[in-house]
Amino acid sequence: MTVIELNHLTKHYGKSRGIRDVNLAVEEGEIFGFIGPNGAGKSTTIRTLLGLIYPTSGSAAVFGRNCTEHPEIRKELGYLPSEVFYYDNMRVIDLLNYSASFYKKDCTKRIRELAEMMDLDLKKKIDDLSFGNKKKVGIVQGLLHEPKLIILDEPTSGLDPLMQQKFFELIAEENRKGATVFFSSHILSEVQKMCSRVAFIKEGEIIKLERMSTLQESSYKRISLESAAAIRKEDFSLAGVSHLEVNGNAAKFIFKGNINAIMKAITAVELRNLSVEEPDLEEIFMHYYVKED
Amino acid sequence: MNIFWRELKAGRKGLIIWSACMVLLIASGMGKYTAYSSGGASGELFNQLPSTVKALLGMGSLDVNVMSGYFALLFLYVELTAAIHAVLLGSSIIAKEERDKTAEFLMAKPVSRSTVVTFKLLAALTNIVVLNLVTLISSLVLVSIYNKGQDITGEISYFLWSMFMVQLVFLSFGALLSAWMSQAKSSGAAAAGVLVGSFVISKITDLSDRLSVLNVLSPFKYFSYNRIVAGEGLSPGILILTVLLTAGLSALTYYFYGKRELDIG
Repeated sequence: MTVIELNHLTKHYGKSRGIRDVNLAVEEGEIFGFIGPNGAGKSTTIRTLLGLIYPTSGSAAVFGRNCTEHPEIRKELGYLPSEVFYYDNMRVIDLLNYSASFYKKDCTKRIRELAEMMDLDLKKKIDDLSFGNKKKVGIVQGLLHEPKLIILDEPTSGLDPLMQQKFFELIAEENRKGATVFFSSHILSEVQKMCSRVAFIKEGEIIKLERMSTLQESSYKRISLESAAAIRKEDFSLAGVSHLEVNGNAAKFIFKGNINAIMKAITAVELRNLSVEEPDLEEIFMHYYVKED
Repeated sequence: MNIFWRELKAGRKGLIIWSACMVLLIASGMGKYTAYSSGGASGELFNQLPSTVKALLGMGSLDVNVMSGYFALLFLYVELTAAIHAVLLGSSIIAKEERDKTAEFLMAKPVSRSTVVTFKLLAALTNIVVLNLVTLISSLVLVSIYNKGQDITGEISYFLWSMFMVQLVFLSFGALLSAWMSQAKSSGAAAAGVLVGSFVISKITDLSDRLSVLNVLSPFKYFSYNRIVAGEGLSPGILILTVLLTAGLSALTYYFYGKRELDIG
Protein backbone atom coordinates (compact mmCIF):
# COMPACT_ATOMS: atom_id res chain seq x y z
CA MET A 1 0.00 0.00 0.00
CA THR A 2 1.24 3.43 -0.87
CA VAL A 3 1.20 5.71 2.13
CA ILE A 4 2.53 8.92 0.64
CA GLU A 5 2.07 9.83 -2.98
CA LEU A 6 3.27 13.03 -4.60
CA ASN A 7 2.38 13.61 -8.23
CA HIS A 8 4.09 16.41 -10.10
CA LEU A 9 3.84 18.46 -6.94
CA THR A 10 4.82 22.06 -7.57
CA LYS A 11 4.74 24.99 -5.23
CA HIS A 12 6.03 28.47 -5.97
CA TYR A 13 6.17 31.10 -3.37
CA GLY A 14 8.40 33.96 -2.51
CA LYS A 15 11.07 34.49 -5.10
CA SER A 16 13.33 31.50 -5.02
CA ARG A 17 11.74 29.13 -2.52
CA GLY A 18 9.51 26.33 -3.64
CA ILE A 19 9.49 22.93 -5.25
CA ARG A 20 9.15 21.80 -8.86
CA ASP A 21 7.54 18.67 -10.19
CA VAL A 22 8.19 16.45 -7.19
CA ASN A 23 7.17 12.80 -7.63
CA LEU A 24 7.45 10.36 -4.76
CA ALA A 25 5.77 7.22 -3.50
CA VAL A 26 6.44 5.94 -0.02
CA GLU A 27 5.28 2.40 0.75
CA GLU A 28 3.74 1.16 3.95
CA GLY A 29 6.22 0.14 6.62
CA GLU A 30 9.27 1.77 5.14
CA ILE A 31 11.54 4.39 6.60
CA PHE A 32 12.04 6.90 3.86
CA GLY A 33 14.86 9.41 3.98
CA PHE A 34 14.37 12.83 2.44
CA ILE A 35 17.73 14.48 2.15
CA GLY A 36 18.69 17.94 1.07
CA PRO A 37 20.54 21.04 2.22
CA ASN A 38 18.73 23.83 4.04
CA GLY A 39 16.40 25.67 1.70
CA ALA A 40 16.16 22.85 -0.84
CA GLY A 41 12.40 22.52 -0.35
CA LYS A 42 12.11 19.74 2.21
CA SER A 43 9.80 21.63 4.55
CA THR A 44 7.80 23.00 1.63
CA THR A 45 7.24 19.47 0.34
CA ILE A 46 6.11 18.25 3.76
CA ARG A 47 3.83 21.22 4.42
CA THR A 48 2.20 20.83 1.04
CA LEU A 49 1.74 17.11 1.70
CA LEU A 50 0.06 17.88 5.03
CA GLY A 51 -2.22 20.48 3.46
CA LEU A 52 -0.72 23.29 5.55
CA ILE A 53 -0.06 25.12 2.33
CA TYR A 54 -1.65 24.59 -1.05
CA PRO A 55 0.22 23.37 -4.13
CA THR A 56 0.55 25.55 -7.22
CA SER A 57 -0.02 22.42 -9.29
CA GLY A 58 0.14 18.67 -8.94
CA SER A 59 -1.23 16.66 -6.05
CA ALA A 60 -0.28 15.12 -2.73
CA ALA A 61 -2.00 12.27 -0.95
CA VAL A 62 -1.65 10.48 2.35
CA PHE A 63 -3.22 7.02 2.54
CA GLY A 64 -4.69 7.77 -0.86
CA ARG A 65 -6.40 10.95 0.22
CA ASN A 66 -5.70 14.63 0.02
CA CYS A 67 -5.20 16.27 3.41
CA THR A 68 -6.98 19.48 2.47
CA GLU A 69 -10.14 17.77 1.29
CA HIS A 70 -10.04 15.08 3.97
CA PRO A 71 -8.48 16.64 7.06
CA GLU A 72 -9.62 13.63 9.11
CA ILE A 73 -6.90 11.59 7.39
CA ARG A 74 -4.42 13.47 9.57
CA LYS A 75 -5.63 11.37 12.51
CA GLU A 76 -3.27 8.67 11.30
CA LEU A 77 -0.41 11.04 11.03
CA GLY A 78 2.13 12.39 13.49
CA TYR A 79 4.17 15.40 12.50
CA LEU A 80 7.26 16.91 14.06
CA PRO A 81 7.98 20.31 12.51
CA SER A 82 11.56 21.47 12.07
CA GLU A 83 11.06 24.43 14.35
CA VAL A 84 8.75 23.90 17.24
CA PHE A 85 6.61 26.74 18.52
CA TYR A 86 3.89 26.16 21.04
CA TYR A 87 1.40 28.13 23.05
CA ASP A 88 3.69 29.78 25.55
CA ASN A 89 1.42 29.97 28.53
CA MET A 90 0.88 26.24 28.62
CA ARG A 91 2.64 23.66 30.66
CA VAL A 92 4.06 20.71 28.78
CA ILE A 93 1.28 18.42 29.95
CA ASP A 94 -1.41 20.96 28.93
CA LEU A 95 0.02 21.15 25.42
CA LEU A 96 0.23 17.36 25.15
CA ASN A 97 -3.32 16.94 26.42
CA TYR A 98 -4.48 19.58 23.97
CA SER A 99 -2.70 17.76 21.19
CA ALA A 100 -4.20 14.43 22.30
CA SER A 101 -7.70 15.94 22.39
CA PHE A 102 -7.68 16.06 18.59
CA TYR A 103 -7.44 12.30 18.27
CA LYS A 104 -10.42 11.06 20.24
CA LYS A 105 -8.54 8.38 22.09
CA ASP A 106 -6.96 8.11 25.50
CA CYS A 107 -3.29 8.93 25.16
CA THR A 108 -2.48 9.47 28.86
CA LYS A 109 -0.46 6.32 29.21
CA ARG A 110 1.48 6.87 26.02
CA ILE A 111 2.28 10.44 27.05
CA ARG A 112 3.76 9.20 30.36
CA GLU A 113 5.78 6.50 28.58
CA LEU A 114 7.18 8.84 25.97
CA ALA A 115 7.95 11.59 28.46
CA GLU A 116 9.80 9.15 30.64
CA MET A 117 11.72 7.78 27.71
CA MET A 118 12.68 11.24 26.49
CA ASP A 119 13.35 12.48 30.02
CA LEU A 120 10.86 15.32 29.73
CA ASP A 121 9.42 17.19 32.70
CA LEU A 122 5.67 17.41 32.11
CA LYS A 123 5.01 20.08 34.70
CA LYS A 124 7.30 22.74 33.27
CA LYS A 125 6.03 25.75 31.38
CA ILE A 126 6.85 25.51 27.69
CA ASP A 127 8.15 29.07 27.90
CA ASP A 128 10.93 27.98 30.24
CA LEU A 129 12.17 25.07 28.13
CA SER A 130 15.43 25.03 26.21
CA PHE A 131 15.41 24.45 22.45
CA GLY A 132 16.27 20.78 22.88
CA ASN A 133 13.52 20.26 25.42
CA LYS A 134 10.98 21.98 23.18
CA LYS A 135 12.06 19.56 20.50
CA LYS A 136 11.28 16.70 22.88
CA VAL A 137 7.82 18.13 23.44
CA GLY A 138 7.49 18.08 19.65
CA ILE A 139 8.53 14.44 19.49
CA VAL A 140 6.08 13.35 22.19
CA GLN A 141 3.36 15.49 20.58
CA GLY A 142 3.94 13.80 17.25
CA LEU A 143 3.92 10.25 18.60
CA LEU A 144 1.43 10.25 21.46
CA HIS A 145 -1.49 9.01 19.36
CA GLU A 146 0.52 6.16 17.85
CA PRO A 147 0.16 7.31 14.26
CA LYS A 148 0.51 5.03 11.27
CA LEU A 149 2.57 7.62 9.45
CA ILE A 150 5.28 9.63 11.18
CA ILE A 151 6.62 12.69 9.40
CA LEU A 152 9.80 14.12 10.84
CA ASP A 153 11.29 17.37 9.63
CA GLU A 154 14.87 17.75 10.84
CA PRO A 155 14.01 15.92 14.06
CA THR A 156 17.41 15.70 15.68
CA SER A 157 18.56 19.32 15.64
CA GLY A 158 18.94 20.52 19.19
CA LEU A 159 19.01 17.05 20.72
CA ASP A 160 22.18 15.90 22.44
CA PRO A 161 23.77 12.67 21.08
CA LEU A 162 22.32 10.55 23.88
CA MET A 163 18.82 11.83 23.17
CA GLN A 164 19.33 11.39 19.44
CA GLN A 165 20.17 7.76 20.13
CA LYS A 166 17.02 7.31 22.21
CA PHE A 167 15.01 9.06 19.57
CA PHE A 168 16.28 6.74 16.83
CA GLU A 169 15.45 3.73 18.97
CA LEU A 170 11.98 5.13 19.51
CA ILE A 171 11.43 5.63 15.78
CA ALA A 172 12.80 2.18 14.99
CA GLU A 173 10.40 0.72 17.55
CA GLU A 174 7.42 2.55 16.03
CA ASN A 175 8.50 1.28 12.64
CA ARG A 176 8.66 -2.28 13.93
CA LYS A 177 5.10 -1.84 15.18
CA GLY A 178 4.12 -0.99 11.64
CA ALA A 179 4.43 2.78 11.31
CA THR A 180 5.71 4.27 8.09
CA VAL A 181 8.33 6.97 8.65
CA PHE A 182 9.15 9.92 6.43
CA PHE A 183 12.40 11.34 7.70
CA SER A 184 13.70 14.63 6.40
CA SER A 185 17.23 15.71 7.19
CA HIS A 186 20.23 17.54 5.83
CA ILE A 187 22.55 15.03 7.44
CA LEU A 188 22.77 11.85 5.42
CA SER A 189 24.74 9.87 7.97
CA GLU A 190 21.94 10.07 10.51
CA VAL A 191 19.41 8.53 8.17
CA GLN A 192 21.69 6.00 6.52
CA LYS A 193 21.48 3.74 9.54
CA MET A 194 17.75 3.34 9.41
CA CYS A 195 16.32 4.29 6.04
CA SER A 196 15.37 1.77 3.40
CA ARG A 197 15.20 4.32 0.60
CA VAL A 198 16.33 7.86 0.25
CA ALA A 199 15.41 10.74 -2.05
CA PHE A 200 17.71 13.66 -2.63
CA ILE A 201 16.20 17.08 -3.17
CA LYS A 202 18.14 20.04 -4.45
CA GLU A 203 16.86 23.50 -5.28
CA GLY A 204 13.30 22.29 -5.23
CA GLU A 205 13.76 19.24 -7.44
CA ILE A 206 14.23 15.56 -6.66
CA ILE A 207 17.55 14.71 -8.20
CA LYS A 208 17.87 11.10 -7.15
CA LEU A 209 15.89 8.39 -5.49
CA GLU A 210 17.71 5.27 -4.48
CA ARG A 211 17.60 2.23 -2.23
CA MET A 212 19.96 2.71 0.64
CA SER A 213 21.54 -0.65 -0.14
CA THR A 214 22.21 0.39 -3.73
CA LEU A 215 23.75 3.61 -2.54
CA GLN A 216 26.01 1.79 -0.15
CA GLU A 217 26.92 -0.89 -2.62
CA SER A 218 27.29 1.39 -5.58
CA SER A 219 30.67 1.38 -7.12
CA TYR A 220 31.70 4.75 -5.87
CA LYS A 221 35.41 4.76 -5.14
CA ARG A 222 37.48 7.47 -3.64
CA ILE A 223 40.85 7.31 -5.34
CA SER A 224 43.96 9.17 -4.24
CA LEU A 225 47.28 8.81 -5.95
CA GLU A 226 50.75 10.25 -6.13
CA SER A 227 53.00 10.01 -9.13
CA ALA A 228 56.64 10.60 -9.91
CA ALA A 229 55.88 13.41 -12.31
CA ALA A 230 53.39 16.24 -12.28
CA ILE A 231 49.84 15.16 -13.04
CA ARG A 232 47.74 16.99 -15.56
CA LYS A 233 43.99 17.32 -15.12
CA GLU A 234 43.49 15.85 -18.58
CA ASP A 235 44.96 12.53 -17.42
CA PHE A 236 41.76 11.81 -15.53
CA SER A 237 39.15 13.66 -17.50
CA LEU A 238 37.01 10.66 -18.32
CA ALA A 239 33.40 9.80 -17.66
CA GLY A 240 32.60 8.86 -14.05
CA VAL A 241 35.27 11.03 -12.47
CA SER A 242 34.13 13.81 -10.21
CA HIS A 243 35.60 16.08 -7.58
CA LEU A 244 38.95 15.91 -9.28
CA GLU A 245 41.63 17.73 -7.31
CA VAL A 246 45.09 17.91 -8.75
CA ASN A 247 47.90 19.24 -6.64
CA GLY A 248 51.30 18.93 -8.26
CA ASN A 249 52.19 15.27 -8.11
CA ALA A 250 49.08 14.28 -6.21
CA ALA A 251 45.52 13.79 -7.38
CA LYS A 252 42.29 12.66 -5.78
CA PHE A 253 38.79 12.16 -7.10
CA ILE A 254 35.60 10.13 -6.77
CA PHE A 255 34.90 7.55 -9.44
CA LYS A 256 31.76 5.72 -10.39
CA GLY A 257 31.70 3.37 -13.35
CA ASN A 258 33.63 0.57 -14.88
CA ILE A 259 36.67 -0.03 -12.72
CA ASN A 260 38.76 -1.20 -15.69
CA ALA A 261 38.45 2.14 -17.41
CA ILE A 262 39.86 4.02 -14.47
CA MET A 263 42.58 1.44 -13.91
CA LYS A 264 43.82 2.05 -17.44
CA ALA A 265 44.02 5.77 -16.78
CA ILE A 266 45.82 5.17 -13.51
CA THR A 267 48.39 2.79 -14.95
CA ALA A 268 49.20 5.39 -17.59
CA VAL A 269 50.96 7.47 -14.95
CA GLU A 270 54.09 6.50 -13.06
CA LEU A 271 52.66 5.72 -9.61
CA ARG A 272 54.29 6.28 -6.27
CA ASN A 273 51.33 5.65 -4.15
CA LEU A 274 47.71 4.69 -4.59
CA SER A 275 44.71 4.24 -2.38
CA VAL A 276 41.22 3.13 -3.36
CA GLU A 277 38.55 3.50 -0.70
CA GLU A 278 34.79 3.29 -0.24
CA PRO A 279 33.60 6.84 0.14
CA ASP A 280 31.17 7.37 3.00
CA LEU A 281 27.69 8.42 2.11
CA GLU A 282 28.40 11.96 3.16
CA GLU A 283 30.73 12.23 0.21
CA ILE A 284 28.23 10.78 -2.22
CA PHE A 285 25.80 13.24 -0.80
CA MET A 286 28.17 16.12 -1.38
CA HIS A 287 28.57 14.83 -4.87
CA TYR A 288 24.86 15.51 -5.43
CA TYR A 289 24.78 18.76 -3.63
CA VAL A 290 27.72 20.77 -4.80
CA LYS A 291 26.26 23.55 -6.84
CA GLU A 292 27.15 23.45 -10.48
CA ASP A 293 29.27 26.45 -11.38
CA MET B 1 -14.82 21.66 20.87
CA ASN B 2 -11.28 21.48 22.29
CA ILE B 3 -10.32 24.54 20.27
CA PHE B 4 -13.24 26.40 21.81
CA TRP B 5 -12.16 25.63 25.39
CA ARG B 6 -8.57 26.34 24.55
CA GLU B 7 -9.51 29.79 23.22
CA LEU B 8 -11.72 30.58 26.21
CA LYS B 9 -8.91 29.70 28.54
CA ALA B 10 -6.36 31.67 26.57
CA GLY B 11 -8.64 34.72 26.54
CA ARG B 12 -9.72 34.56 30.16
CA LYS B 13 -7.24 37.05 31.55
CA GLY B 14 -7.91 39.54 28.78
CA LEU B 15 -11.63 39.26 29.28
CA ILE B 16 -11.33 39.92 33.00
CA ILE B 17 -9.28 43.04 32.34
CA TRP B 18 -11.72 44.33 29.72
CA SER B 19 -14.65 43.66 32.05
CA ALA B 20 -12.97 45.47 34.94
CA CYS B 21 -12.24 48.45 32.69
CA MET B 22 -15.84 48.49 31.55
CA VAL B 23 -17.14 48.54 35.13
CA LEU B 24 -14.70 51.33 36.00
CA LEU B 25 -15.76 53.31 32.95
CA ILE B 26 -19.43 53.10 33.85
CA ALA B 27 -18.76 53.79 37.53
CA SER B 28 -16.67 56.87 36.82
CA GLY B 29 -19.16 58.05 34.21
CA MET B 30 -22.11 57.69 36.55
CA GLY B 31 -20.14 59.48 39.25
CA LYS B 32 -20.31 62.63 37.16
CA TYR B 33 -24.07 62.39 36.72
CA THR B 34 -24.74 64.60 39.72
CA ALA B 35 -22.84 67.42 38.02
CA TYR B 36 -25.12 67.21 34.99
CA SER B 37 -28.38 66.62 36.81
CA SER B 38 -28.00 69.00 39.74
CA GLY B 39 -30.18 71.35 37.74
CA GLY B 40 -29.97 75.12 37.72
CA ALA B 41 -26.92 76.71 36.22
CA SER B 42 -25.12 73.63 34.82
CA GLY B 43 -28.22 72.30 33.09
CA GLU B 44 -28.73 75.66 31.47
CA LEU B 45 -25.10 75.69 30.45
CA PHE B 46 -25.40 72.45 28.52
CA ASN B 47 -28.53 73.62 26.77
CA GLN B 48 -26.81 76.76 25.64
CA LEU B 49 -23.85 75.04 24.06
CA PRO B 50 -23.72 75.39 20.26
CA SER B 51 -25.11 72.32 18.53
CA THR B 52 -21.75 71.46 16.91
CA VAL B 53 -20.07 71.37 20.33
CA LYS B 54 -22.90 69.25 21.67
CA ALA B 55 -22.53 66.94 18.72
CA LEU B 56 -18.81 66.55 19.35
CA LEU B 57 -19.40 65.86 23.02
CA GLY B 58 -21.77 63.13 21.95
CA MET B 59 -24.88 64.81 23.28
CA GLY B 60 -26.56 65.71 20.02
CA SER B 61 -30.12 66.51 20.82
CA LEU B 62 -30.17 64.36 23.94
CA ASP B 63 -31.34 65.88 27.16
CA VAL B 64 -28.46 65.01 29.45
CA ASN B 65 -30.21 66.36 32.51
CA VAL B 66 -32.41 63.27 32.76
CA MET B 67 -30.98 59.80 33.38
CA SER B 68 -31.89 58.23 30.04
CA GLY B 69 -30.27 61.08 28.12
CA TYR B 70 -27.24 61.05 30.35
CA PHE B 71 -26.87 57.30 30.00
CA ALA B 72 -27.02 57.69 26.23
CA LEU B 73 -24.12 60.14 26.44
CA LEU B 74 -22.12 57.74 28.59
CA PHE B 75 -23.16 54.78 26.44
CA LEU B 76 -21.31 56.24 23.46
CA TYR B 77 -18.02 55.58 25.25
CA VAL B 78 -19.17 52.21 26.58
CA GLU B 79 -20.09 51.14 23.07
CA LEU B 80 -16.80 52.41 21.67
CA THR B 81 -14.92 50.37 24.28
CA ALA B 82 -16.91 47.22 23.51
CA ALA B 83 -16.36 47.74 19.78
CA ILE B 84 -12.60 48.09 20.24
CA HIS B 85 -12.63 44.89 22.28
CA ALA B 86 -14.64 43.06 19.64
CA VAL B 87 -12.59 44.13 16.65
CA LEU B 88 -9.26 43.36 18.33
CA LEU B 89 -10.56 40.03 19.59
CA GLY B 90 -11.91 39.10 16.17
CA SER B 91 -8.66 39.83 14.40
CA SER B 92 -6.33 38.37 17.03
CA ILE B 93 -8.21 35.13 17.57
CA ILE B 94 -7.69 34.23 13.91
CA ALA B 95 -4.30 35.85 13.43
CA LYS B 96 -2.58 34.58 16.53
CA GLU B 97 -1.86 31.08 15.24
CA GLU B 98 0.30 32.59 12.55
CA ARG B 99 1.66 35.36 14.77
CA ASP B 100 2.75 32.87 17.45
CA LYS B 101 3.80 30.33 14.80
CA THR B 102 1.46 27.71 16.23
CA ALA B 103 -0.41 27.35 12.92
CA GLU B 104 1.91 24.52 11.93
CA PHE B 105 0.96 22.62 15.09
CA LEU B 106 -2.76 23.26 14.83
CA MET B 107 -3.21 22.70 11.11
CA ALA B 108 -1.39 19.36 11.18
CA LYS B 109 -4.14 18.08 13.46
CA PRO B 110 -7.16 16.31 11.97
CA VAL B 111 -9.26 19.47 11.74
CA SER B 112 -10.38 21.45 8.74
CA ARG B 113 -9.78 25.16 8.51
CA SER B 114 -13.49 25.87 8.73
CA THR B 115 -13.74 23.88 11.96
CA VAL B 116 -10.93 25.99 13.36
CA VAL B 117 -12.71 29.19 12.34
CA THR B 118 -16.03 27.96 13.74
CA PHE B 119 -14.71 27.21 17.22
CA LYS B 120 -12.61 30.33 17.32
CA LEU B 121 -15.58 32.49 16.38
CA LEU B 122 -17.74 30.72 18.96
CA ALA B 123 -15.14 31.40 21.63
CA ALA B 124 -14.97 35.04 20.59
CA LEU B 125 -18.75 35.22 20.61
CA THR B 126 -18.78 33.90 24.17
CA ASN B 127 -16.28 36.60 25.12
CA ILE B 128 -18.37 39.44 23.72
CA VAL B 129 -21.53 38.05 25.34
CA VAL B 130 -19.76 38.02 28.71
CA LEU B 131 -18.51 41.58 28.25
CA ASN B 132 -22.00 42.63 27.21
CA LEU B 133 -23.59 41.02 30.27
CA VAL B 134 -21.00 42.58 32.58
CA THR B 135 -21.82 45.94 31.01
CA LEU B 136 -25.54 45.35 31.33
CA ILE B 137 -25.42 44.34 34.97
CA SER B 138 -23.02 47.07 36.05
CA SER B 139 -25.10 49.65 34.15
CA LEU B 140 -28.31 48.53 35.83
CA VAL B 141 -26.71 48.50 39.29
CA LEU B 142 -24.83 51.78 38.96
CA VAL B 143 -27.71 53.63 37.31
CA SER B 144 -30.07 52.53 40.05
CA ILE B 145 -27.70 54.00 42.63
CA TYR B 146 -27.76 57.47 41.04
CA ASN B 147 -31.18 57.53 39.46
CA LYS B 148 -33.76 59.53 41.33
CA GLY B 149 -36.18 59.86 38.45
CA GLN B 150 -37.92 57.41 36.15
CA ASP B 151 -36.72 53.80 35.95
CA ILE B 152 -34.76 53.24 32.70
CA THR B 153 -34.16 49.47 32.83
CA GLY B 154 -35.92 49.04 29.48
CA GLU B 155 -33.83 51.73 27.80
CA ILE B 156 -30.61 50.25 29.19
CA SER B 157 -31.58 46.82 27.90
CA TYR B 158 -32.19 48.23 24.42
CA PHE B 159 -28.88 50.09 24.51
CA LEU B 160 -27.08 46.90 25.43
CA TRP B 161 -28.91 44.98 22.70
CA SER B 162 -27.75 47.53 20.18
CA MET B 163 -24.24 47.26 21.61
CA PHE B 164 -24.33 43.50 21.10
CA MET B 165 -25.18 44.00 17.44
CA VAL B 166 -22.32 46.49 17.07
CA GLN B 167 -20.00 44.02 18.82
CA LEU B 168 -21.07 41.31 16.36
CA VAL B 169 -20.33 43.49 13.36
CA PHE B 170 -16.90 44.48 14.62
CA LEU B 171 -16.02 40.96 15.75
CA SER B 172 -16.79 39.48 12.36
CA PHE B 173 -15.09 42.39 10.63
CA GLY B 174 -11.90 41.87 12.66
CA ALA B 175 -11.95 38.15 11.89
CA LEU B 176 -12.44 38.85 8.19
CA LEU B 177 -9.49 41.24 8.10
CA SER B 178 -7.12 38.70 9.62
CA ALA B 179 -8.36 35.95 7.29
CA TRP B 180 -8.04 38.17 4.24
CA MET B 181 -4.90 40.26 4.81
CA SER B 182 -1.73 38.50 3.72
CA GLN B 183 0.05 39.86 6.78
CA ALA B 184 -2.25 38.58 9.50
CA LYS B 185 -0.05 40.22 12.12
CA SER B 186 -0.98 43.71 10.99
CA SER B 187 -4.69 42.98 10.87
CA GLY B 188 -5.16 44.22 14.45
CA ALA B 189 -3.76 47.63 13.59
CA ALA B 190 -5.82 47.77 10.40
CA ALA B 191 -8.97 46.75 12.26
CA ALA B 192 -8.42 49.38 14.94
CA GLY B 193 -7.81 51.94 12.21
CA VAL B 194 -11.09 51.13 10.50
CA LEU B 195 -12.89 51.31 13.83
CA VAL B 196 -11.51 54.76 14.61
CA GLY B 197 -12.47 55.79 11.08
CA SER B 198 -16.03 54.65 11.54
CA PHE B 199 -16.20 56.43 14.89
CA VAL B 200 -14.97 59.66 13.31
CA ILE B 201 -17.60 59.27 10.57
CA SER B 202 -20.26 58.95 13.23
CA LYS B 203 -19.08 62.25 14.73
CA ILE B 204 -18.96 63.99 11.36
CA THR B 205 -22.48 62.95 10.45
CA ASP B 206 -23.63 64.35 13.78
CA LEU B 207 -22.46 67.75 12.62
CA SER B 208 -24.57 67.91 9.50
CA ASP B 209 -27.70 66.11 8.34
CA ARG B 210 -26.58 66.28 4.74
CA LEU B 211 -23.87 63.67 5.37
CA SER B 212 -26.19 61.15 6.98
CA VAL B 213 -25.74 58.76 4.02
CA LEU B 214 -22.25 58.10 5.42
CA ASN B 215 -23.84 56.52 8.47
CA VAL B 216 -23.96 53.24 6.62
CA LEU B 217 -20.18 53.10 7.11
CA SER B 218 -20.47 53.51 10.85
CA PRO B 219 -22.08 50.75 12.92
CA PHE B 220 -22.15 53.25 15.80
CA LYS B 221 -24.94 54.96 13.89
CA TYR B 222 -27.02 51.91 13.03
CA PHE B 223 -29.18 52.19 16.12
CA SER B 224 -30.56 55.62 16.94
CA TYR B 225 -29.89 56.72 20.50
CA ASN B 226 -32.76 59.16 20.34
CA ARG B 227 -35.12 56.38 19.41
CA ILE B 228 -34.02 54.28 22.38
CA VAL B 229 -34.21 57.25 24.76
CA ALA B 230 -37.71 57.94 23.45
CA GLY B 231 -38.60 54.39 24.50
CA GLU B 232 -39.14 53.08 20.98
CA GLY B 233 -36.52 50.32 21.14
CA LEU B 234 -34.56 49.10 18.12
CA SER B 235 -35.69 49.24 14.52
CA PRO B 236 -36.44 45.62 13.44
CA GLY B 237 -35.36 46.31 9.85
CA ILE B 238 -31.95 47.53 10.96
CA LEU B 239 -31.62 44.60 13.36
CA ILE B 240 -32.13 42.21 10.47
CA LEU B 241 -29.71 44.09 8.24
CA THR B 242 -27.07 44.04 10.98
CA VAL B 243 -27.48 40.30 11.45
CA LEU B 244 -27.17 39.84 7.68
CA LEU B 245 -24.05 42.01 7.62
CA THR B 246 -22.50 39.90 10.38
CA ALA B 247 -23.42 36.71 8.54
CA GLY B 248 -21.90 38.07 5.34
CA LEU B 249 -18.67 39.11 7.03
CA SER B 250 -18.42 35.70 8.73
CA ALA B 251 -19.05 33.85 5.47
CA LEU B 252 -16.24 35.83 3.85
CA THR B 253 -14.01 34.97 6.80
CA TYR B 254 -14.56 31.25 6.13
CA TYR B 255 -14.01 31.75 2.42
CA PHE B 256 -10.76 33.68 2.73
CA TYR B 257 -9.38 31.54 5.55
CA GLY B 258 -10.09 28.42 3.53
CA LYS B 259 -8.04 29.77 0.63
CA ARG B 260 -5.45 31.46 2.77
CA GLU B 261 -1.74 30.98 2.15
CA LEU B 262 -0.76 30.39 5.76
CA ASP B 263 2.40 32.14 6.83
CA ILE B 264 4.34 29.30 8.45
CA GLY B 265 7.90 29.75 9.72
